[in-house]
Amino acid sequence: MKKQNSRKQNRVWILLNYFSLIALIVFFYTGKYFQWPISLVVFEIGSVVVFLISFLKAFIKTKYWKMVHTSYKNLDEREMQVVLNALRYAYSIFTIVCLIIIYAFAIVEYHPIDVLLAAGLLYLAHTLPAAIAAWNEKNISIDDD
Amino acid sequence: MKSRKLYNRISVLRKERNISRKELAESIGVNIQTVGYLEREEYNPSLDLAFKINEYFGLPIELIFSPEPLKPLSEEIIELKNKIGGEK
Repeated sequence: MKKQNSRKQNRVWILLNYFSLIALIVFFYTGKYFQWPISLVVFEIGSVVVFLISFLKAFIKTKYWKMVHTSYKNLDEREMQVVLNALRYAYSIFTIVCLIIIYAFAIVEYHPIDVLLAAGLLYLAHTLPAAIAAWNEKNISIDDD
Repeated sequence: MKSRKLYNRISVLRKERNISRKELAESIGVNIQTVGYLEREEYNPSLDLAFKINEYFGLPIELIFSPEPLKPLSEEIIELKNKIGGEK
């Protein structure tokens, strides 16, 4: 029997992915500030590993990444609804996250957004629709007759 | 606008005819997950998809879809039989 992630498992992997992304960024800046003590290097590598594994489990294995990035011609009517709904929510969430970051940077008078944070935001923009679709969808096994 | 729930007999008909979800999905041109959603009555199909399902099973639309909860097929057959008997 072909096994697929349940919705609960999907949600755990999505949360793990975004938390590891935040940890990765936080450890990077902390490590840079304290000139990379060995403990922070280990935490940074650990975050990268968790981030990569959870990305594969949450987005690639479940095929939601492919689903939200494919042409509409390859989707059925329900999948189109799922993708449109996911894009709608992703747009709102991403706007809110961007505004929070911009205002937070303005309040603490921090230096401009650097490459790592910009890459993090780019990653968020690309994965949010897939994360929302995976968060809401119920998976059924192919042989579950 | 919130659409009302549509009840269907897809699961019963599919099992009765010994068809897998995958076979049905391929025949009506949808993903296997969508067949699961249709069977659990968590998704209302478009008119086009509903007609494809009817054509696949070779049954009238009112026998497969209904806005009211559907009776078991056996009950419906008995009712139909009684109706025909009454007409005679």
